Amino acid sequence: FEEPSQNTVDPEVRAYVYSLVSALGGTGADEDGRYVLGDDALACLKDLKKWLKLHDEKANRLDVARCLAEANLVKGDLLEILAAWPETATEDKIKSKIALACLELLVPLTWPIEKNDTQMTVNHHRHVPYLQLAQTSYKRAILEHEAAKVLRTAVRIGLPSIALPMGERGSRDEGIIKLLLYFFRNIAMISPPQNLPNEGKEGEVSRSATIEAFHRQDVLALLLTISSNMGEDFNTQDTVVMEVLFHLLKGVDVEKLFMDKEQLKSKNGDELKSLLAQEAGMHRSYAKNAPTRHNRFGTMIWVKRDDAGRVSTVSGQDVLKDGQHTLSKMDQTKKWNKPRQRVKNEEPAQDRFDMPVALTESANTHLRAFVEEFLDSSFNPLFNHIRRAIEREAERVLDAHQLQFFYLVSWFLEAERVRRGKKKEAEKRKRDKKLEATFEADSFALIATVLNQESFILLNRFMQDRLDLKSWREVQAGMRCFTQILLIVQDMGQSLLEEDQEIAENIQNRIFYEETTHDRIIAILRGYKDQGFGYLNSCTELSHVFLRILERYSRENVDLQVRSRRKARRSKKAAAKQREPTNEDDQDGTSEMEDVAEAERVSRERKFDFTRFSTKFMTQACIDTFVSFAKYYTDLDTEQLKRAHRFFYRVAFKQDLSVMLFRLDIIALFNQMIKGPEGLDSAGPMFRDWDELVRQLVKKMIKKLEQRPELAVELLFSKINSTIHYLEYGYEKQTTSSK
Amino acid sequence: KENGAGLGIDEEIKVAKKRAPVPKLDEKRLLSPAGISKLRRVAKERFKFKGKGHEYSDVARLLNVYQLWLDDLYPRAKFGDGLAIIEKLGHTKRMQTMRREWINEGKPRESWESLDSL
Repeated sequence: FEEPSQNTVDPEVRAYVYSLVSALGGTGADEDGRYVLGDDALACLKDLKKWLKLHDEKANRLDVARCLAEANLVKGDLLEILAAWPETATEDKIKSKIALACLELLVPLTWPIEKNDTQMTVNHHRHVPYLQLAQTSYKRAILEHEAAKVLRTAVRIGLPSIALPMGERGSRDEGIIKLLLYFFRNIAMISPPQNLPNEGKEGEVSRSATIEAFHRQDVLALLLTISSNMGEDFNTQDTVVMEVLFHLLKGVDVEKLFMDKEQLKSKNGDELKSLLAQEAGMHRSYAKNAPTRHNRFGTMIWVKRDDAGRVSTVSGQDVLKDGQHTLSKMDQTKKWNKPRQRVKNEEPAQDRFDMPVALTESANTHLRAFVEEFLDSSFNPLFNHIRRAIEREAERVLDAHQLQFFYLVSWFLEAERVRRGKKKEAEKRKRDKKLEATFEADSFALIATVLNQESFILLNRFMQDRLDLKSWREVQAGMRCFTQILLIVQDMGQSLLEEDQEIAENIQNRIFYEETTHDRIIAILRGYKDQGFGYLNSCTELSHVFLRILERYSRENVDLQVRSRRKARRSKKAAAKQREPTNEDDQDGTSEMEDVAEAERVSRERKFDFTRFSTKFMTQACIDTFVSFAKYYTDLDTEQLKRAHRFFYRVAFKQDLSVMLFRLDIIALFNQMIKGPEGLDSAGPMFRDWDELVRQLVKKMIKKLEQRPELAVELLFSKINSTIHYLEYGYEKQTTSSK
Repeated sequence: KENGAGLGIDEEIKVAKKRAPVPKLDEKRLLSPAGISKLRRVAKERFKFKGKGHEYSDVARLLNVYQLWLDDLYPRAKFGDGLAIIEKLGHTKRMQTMRREWINEGKPRESWESLDSL
């Protein structure tokens, strides 16, 4: 850090804080460089805590935190004191008190600074960047202390309280446990600020380093203990534990996590190979059109525009070769761009869960072991407990917790699915050698608590609420969760155990029974507009999975019923109105209106018709969403390309609505995907499918264009509903007037 | 004197020259002779497709026709931007009725007669 500037903080405050820090203790040359506590160290620590509380918190400033950062309190004193607390002296009253006081200071100092708070003052703006850097350095110092395991020491502070049965714990014990867990949460959460230069290596505070430190210093074990005993020995700690988990797991790729060493290596190797190939392809496509002579060679050509002899000019020798290139160059040289709405990005980076994180090999192994153990022992107790807390609207449940809950549920469900897949593979390989009898299908009981009706109700309500509030990141968490539930239920249906199959059947019935669910999925897909790629990816995935599973399910269960809430017929409304005057006297106007509205919405059951349902996906808005998804084609992986392909295939050939795709921007995009420039990798696995799709679509379009020349104009626009049928079939829809 | 200076009466009023209005791609332009009507004419003349087996060259030719047409209509915008603007214009009421008319013109004769008789 740069030298402390004197004018940022009131000099008097600085003087007080500095004198406290120096009174705390120090390393002495005559003590072999060991840290020696000051005479009144405990009182000093308590005073510092008071300063933080009474100056910073009360007056809403960050002055003391800034002074403490500049005075190097954490690294120079607190960690040294903790390091000097020997394992044998755990019972020592005074020493453990001092250790606790250190932790009490560490927690507020590492507490995340929320940046887009409306209460931000000038003072905050002055200190926050410095403090964010300071926190990163705290984390570095804590994770990598040379002499001692700081995290482990912290665990030791809490152990006496944890060891007590829940009934015997006082409020002080509960406080200590909470303090400890918040400490781990803070450590897991701190990440180098993105908009500031970071000194030192980023690797030292990366996720991998955190996971390794947590593993080595037994924090992961503690987390497992607490979460597996949730509801028995622990109660109010659930949300904090969840926060720690969230910050450890957000952005970790489940598939990669569960690959073993060989696979990971070959996967990474393949990735490198394919990236290199991709790059080579890019160079090749550039080289094809690259100038063959120097850049002042000065070629200029005329492009004849029409029979009247008008011409436009294009320069550069690269345009000589082919006409297509000339036209695209003409377009590229235009200077004006259509003004676009700026996408604002306001949300805090801490809650972002769609930023991929890379893990080192050993962090990968440790985290995987932890996840497997967590699934086996802790998933049900912890998440069941939190779900209840959310339903109860317990005081400790904050807004962010619901998002974290649904994200973590989806993450662990995916982990369970992947783990099962791997197990199955391994079994298959083994079965060749061993007897079939060894194969034992295990049930889905490990994750059962999130598959009950209460969870579905909570999830549905959450998604609908956040959709109405336009809180997109939370909707996205809900979508991911719902997608994973659908996938795991699908796996369950294919289980060897009959009981599992039955349960899966039941769950699907319940999920698909509500028509509001169907409508919500469509509404989400239709409602995409600049919510970012992560959201786009999640909503297309959900639609894809939902459609596919529902299609299969409704095929197997031909008499699937859905409960639909529709407006009742006019006659009923009229009847309600007739009844009104009789009880008008004792009711006021508003409740009457509600009654009428209620009477209008009547729920009834009707048979589910998949074709009718899937037609609802074929609206222009849904197609536009998938088009904007396909626009990212250079960055999409095989599975995502497949998803988009299946959708467009369904639109064009299953539902016979290819007219909807006959729009120039869509056609231009498809053409570019196949023919470039910068098209899909022609050696990629999905290239052939796409090639075939685009070819068929174009063929159809050209045929249509010859049959109905009026399509030439309609190609420019989104189609009008009433004319789609005519454009597709060439005759008006036969409407039977059977009303 | 002081009052005058404070009010700024004595100062000469500068007349800012008005900027030339930026041409816009709007309904008017789209419905002008250089717009849709030209496109309809051009489409009849220039859409010559080779058909089966030449899908991509056909679609490239198609796109080129539209690009040149759009460049004549509104040289300012890039192809993709121009398409987006026009697509948006297509949602207005006037354009919708126009589009319906254009489609109806292409419909088989007898449907017209049956419509008239209704």
